[in-house]
Amino acid sequence: MSDETRTAIRAFIVENFLFGDDSQPLAADLSLIDNDLIDSTGILELVGFLEERFAITITDADIVPANLDTIDRIAGFIARKQAA
Amino acid sequence: MASVRSFEAGDVDAVADLFQRLLRKSGQPANDDLKAYIHTLFLDGANRDAGLFSRVHVRTDGTVSGFLGVLPVEMQFEGRRLLAANCGTFACDDRDSDPFAGARLLRDVLSGPQDLSFSETSNDISTDMWRTMRAGVLASYSLEWLRILKPAAFALEAVAGKVSAARLLSPVAKLGDAILCRRGGKQTWSHYAPLAGKADAFAATPADNAEFAALGVELVAQFPLRPAWDQPTLEAMLKHAERKALHGERIQHIVRARSGKPVGLYLYYGNPGGIGRAVQVMAAPGQEAIVIDCLIRNAHERGLVAVRGRTQPQLLQAMIGKKCAFLHTSSTVVHARDPAILAALTHGQPFLNGLAGEGWTRLIGDRFG
Repeated sequence: MSDETRTAIRAFIVENFLFGDDSQPLAADLSLIDNDLIDSTGILELVGFLEERFAITITDADIVPANLDTIDRIAGFIARKQAA
Repeated sequence: MASVRSFEAGDVDAVADLFQRLLRKSGQPANDDLKAYIHTLFLDGANRDAGLFSRVHVRTDGTVSGFLGVLPVEMQFEGRRLLAANCGTFACDDRDSDPFAGARLLRDVLSGPQDLSFSETSNDISTDMWRTMRAGVLASYSLEWLRILKPAAFALEAVAGKVSAARLLSPVAKLGDAILCRRGGKQTWSHYAPLAGKADAFAATPADNAEFAALGVELVAQFPLRPAWDQPTLEAMLKHAERKALHGERIQHIVRARSGKPVGLYLYYGNPGGIGRAVQVMAAPGQEAIVIDCLIRNAHERGLVAVRGRTQPQLLQAMIGKKCAFLHTSSTVVHARDPAILAALTHGQPFLNGLAGEGWTRLIGDRFG
């Protein structure tokens, strides 16, 4: 997983869920759910973004916290999808 | 791992419980009547041939945490038969701690075998989710029209919805309304005056389900994108709609010209002293205002304090000048993968809401048990 991937994910989260506020560092292992950064609509937005930006197809079974709860997990998930 | 799968008979108790707690906001457990109805509506009513089912979200431990009810609707557009998913009943537990459930359910249902999907009762959270899935929000279908007939009694009834002791003041409200209405004159926002008008040349009379359905099938044909109703289908829906104990007595009328020719129909529920709820108003092209006038006049004659219903574009046009207020409580949202169908839904004035929505089911307005 590249830094470029993480940067793109982080930028999307800051822009869409923090409304552009990047004053606080967004740790790569910070839980988006436990910290109330993402709701049901946010998950759909994130999935749509990942499919479009990284040209991957996300199935229903992929939409779980193990794949999408932190920047690290999202980056790992993308890497696995692209390698498959 | 948590999953989304088709709704099964073994899920009925859990889904009835979700409905009762999250949508009815009741502390009472779901009773057998509600469970049986959910079975009838969402299991017996599923389109097994097309593989169109209601869906549940199941936690890792096997318990149900979310439900998206799907009512299959055969529709028609430019001679094509379309399958629609009417997705009205959407409830998820643990929304804050598990936002994945709602997201997965909606994504799963919208990727089903149907040509189009819609809901007429989408709350603000669901509407945002539908929008993210590239659904359209139909503004002219998403308003509640409200015609106040007796202002003081209406204000009292609105308060009594929260504090029932307020009804003790009803003699005062009656007096206030009598003074207001004695002024007569023209129609105003504040109250209704039964003035002479075009509607006097028409008569609204009770109709049984067969007559009502026959006219409904005829009137819906004017819409390019519409439910492909036949008489038995519509009669079966009207059978469901026979009772809405929470909304009041059912008034199912056909409006006719003096010649006997039918020009429209309406179906509403309401008791004297209460607020009526219209489920369906349909009219021959150009006769919408007449049918609305007949409905409002009937509600006034029966002693209702106000009447409300959901807008459709033709009705919205005809309500201009009728001193109706318009409010937004929930949205009509539509989704289709085919851009031509989505355009017909968002710009083509489809026939949606009411009998082509969820208003006919007992889940809206009936008491169970």
